[in-house]
Amino acid sequence: MSTQLWALAVVGIVVLAAACLEVFRSRRARARSVGASAAPASEPYILYFTGDGCTVCRTHQEPALAKLGPVRVDKVDAIAERELADRFHVYTLPTTVVMSRDGAALHVNYGYAPAPKLERQLAEARTNLQAVATA
Amino acid sequence: MATQVVDHSALKVNQAGIIVTVLVAFVGSAFYRPLLVLIPLLAVVLLLGTFAPQLALFKQLYFKILKPRGIVKPRPVQDRPEPHNFAQGMGGVVLAIASIFLLPLPVVGLALSLLVAVLAFVNFAFGYCLGCQIYFQLGKFGLIRAS
Repeated sequence: MSTQLWALAVVGIVVLAAACLEVFRSRRARARSVGASAAPASEPYILYFTGDGCTVCRTHQEPALAKLGPVRVDKVDAIAERELADRFHVYTLPTTVVMSRDGAALHVNYGYAPAPKLERQLAEARTNLQAVATA
Repeated sequence: MATQVVDHSALKVNQAGIIVTVLVAFVGSAFYRPLLVLIPLLAVVLLLGTFAPQLALFKQLYFKILKPRGIVKPRPVQDRPEPHNFAQGMGGVVLAIASIFLLPLPVVGLALSLLVAVLAFVNFAFGYCLGCQIYFQLGKFGLIRAS
């Protein structure tokens, strides 16, 4: 029985270390990506990084994006458009980036981002836009 | 590369099979050590299934028994099978390495097996496939043809 307990402890440590590493990597990539730029637009929009082999993109992310209503979503193949993917430090799929009207990255979501989260980020992007307009 | 229709229920049954087999070997071996043989057997099943899908035991269980009898409902999704096969192969390789360690260093062998079960569970419950992400990274760096 002690062998099993030791094995369980080893796996627990590995899982914990992997989770910490993932949080660190995600935070670092987000910090580097916010402010990165792409093409300007008339309204805030979403850059959606996906790929042929991304299942979560099809089963979760695309239905969530479809719920957003009339928002421009630029679908980007992260493998074909590697330069653009690297600019936003895309290390996992899906990745969604909420872009401001002037083409600056405001929010970067690594992994699946549910519709309410994207809606909140888009609302923030629009609020920023109004604040700038009224200033 | 064009997508195909992949039945995600078959993948879920495969993941459930991995989790159950590893757990039976892990817990059972505490009371009856020969149950450890399930680990190398599972490695063989996963590796065979990666290269010859018709030999994938859990998927065949789904297609031949669970699906026809309506026990598990099909869930077809436009997808590519390659990342899933890659993930399964990766699981098979890790279990094969675990099998080598099971007798001389059982803690290492059991820990590696349990890690495969944990990853299968994460995929089963949350849809996050580490093997698929590794496949994406390898494709991104041009090490495999991922698109």
